[in-house]
Amino acid sequence: MGHWIYLIVPICLYLMFFVVPIVWTFWLSLHSWNGISRDMKWVGGGNFMTLFLQPRFHHAVVNNIAWLIFYLLAPSGLGLLLAVILDRGIRFEGFFRIVFFLPFTVPAVAVAAIWRWMYEPTNGLITTVLNTVGLGGWAQNWLGDPNIVTFSLMGSVLWWTTGFAFLVFFAGLRNIPVECIEAAQIEGATPWQIFWRVTFPLLWPSTIIVLGLAAIDAMRVFDIIWATTMGGPAYASEVMATQMYEIAFGRLEMGRASAIAVYLLVIAGVLIMPYITYMSRRVADSEDS
Amino acid sequence: MTRTPILPYIIAIFMVVLFMAPLVVAAMTSLKSPSELTQVLHLPTELYFENYVRAWQQMGRTFINSLLITGPAVLFSILVGTMAAYPLAYMRGRGGKLVYFLLLTGMLVPFQIVQIPLFLIIRWLGLYDTIPGMWLVHTAYAVPFCTFFMRNFFATVPQSMYEAALIDGCSKFGFLWRLLIPASTAGLSALAIIQSRYIWNDLLFAITLTNSDQARPATAAIAGFASGLQVEYGPLMAATLISVVPVMLAFLLFQKAFVRGLLGGAGK
Repeated sequence: MGHWIYLIVPICLYLMFFVVPIVWTFWLSLHSWNGISRDMKWVGGGNFMTLFLQPRFHHAVVNNIAWLIFYLLAPSGLGLLLAVILDRGIRFEGFFRIVFFLPFTVPAVAVAAIWRWMYEPTNGLITTVLNTVGLGGWAQNWLGDPNIVTFSLMGSVLWWTTGFAFLVFFAGLRNIPVECIEAAQIEGATPWQIFWRVTFPLLWPSTIIVLGLAAIDAMRVFDIIWATTMGGPAYASEVMATQMYEIAFGRLEMGRASAIAVYLLVIAGVLIMPYITYMSRRVADSEDS
Repeated sequence: MTRTPILPYIIAIFMVVLFMAPLVVAAMTSLKSPSELTQVLHLPTELYFENYVRAWQQMGRTFINSLLITGPAVLFSILVGTMAAYPLAYMRGRGGKLVYFLLLTGMLVPFQIVQIPLFLIIRWLGLYDTIPGMWLVHTAYAVPFCTFFMRNFFATVPQSMYEAALIDGCSKFGFLWRLLIPASTAGLSALAIIQSRYIWNDLLFAITLTNSDQARPATAAIAGFASGLQVEYGPLMAATLISVVPVMLAFLLFQKAFVRGLLGGAGK
């Protein structure tokens, strides 16, 4: 007996919970259906066409792209900065490490509740601090203004997810042999050169993990938006996932919602597939060598 | 490092203030009476535990549900991931690579895509609004990531160990249970922590697949009373902090193992 029989359970789960529902979603997206009644009306590509022409849907797609750019740059950049600072032999390193990582352990709904209180327009911490230091004019209706609500949400996500990027980079830095850095120092390289020419390239395995998971998270972003604003005000902070939820379970338009899901899958596929291919090949390479 | 520049400390301490402020404010708010609530920067004049009592009355049951969901679901998902990763790490040939690639593809699926059929499947199985239903769903959707993680971790265990064990007459099953799993405790505990966080913190599956206190986890309950019209921040902050405790505690207790597991799995 081969050990491949261990694959039976995972593959069955995969078929039942990934393959079947995805095919089913495609099927639903070609219909008009309220989720309850017996008759599903075939509409072909109608749902896709409606969405394609709809400003509300465009807005959600643009927001998703903004989240992708944010996720790739902000938590990763800040996490790298913090990791580099701690790696240079700072005292109380253990304490700093715990503090930077702590927010990552908080559930999305808790992040939402805490930051709704932080952003509260009259008594919230941010407005209070701005008033105290005499910058009260900068205070905004952080979550109520359609023009800034997405940026406010990004602020809370930055607080929430930086810790993970930080910890992966920190672990990666610890894996770099000291000799590499010392050799560069002897050659007379400046710290700036050492970082970009030696440390950063050697950190590539960590970078690829952080960026890949960030892209996946950006496509999945749902919990934090739903729990903070439910996509509001007036759909301003909607992404595809929250719009889909609202259309499916709020308006009971399962066909239209499934079409959003298909768009989301296609966009995620185009963006993330190269990464998956790279990852599965990388493991194969390391085996052969 | 002999010289200690001051700039890293300034940045680090500044970041500590930014990172801790929301948690400190939430903790302070949770201990204030309603009349003091608007004084954000002031310490509570007396500790007002009434908020915690009221929060527990509203979410206590769901907190227990969260524990009942997360514990077994973490175990099952790690078990299934390990079972999938083992043959994929040691199987030669195209078949193994293809299966691995297909499983990894599951990682790019935003879970909202399967939401509607999943709701119908779970209802059809009779598992709607039940705790075992949540175990099943969390285990199934963890397959790609857990397989990926353990497969990567197993790749750090030398191939020669596998070959030597088989020559010594160890069966392929014996190798997994007696040698590979004991040699992978760092990876397994790191994965356990990651999975606990995912499952404990989940909101999407919770609001799709549960609708009563019978199975509803704490996250769904908090989302429920946070979105009410009249938000009472005192009890809400108390409930929030209660929901934060288990995962935070797990990370603090096992953070050494977590960092070691990340080094083994991701640092390769």
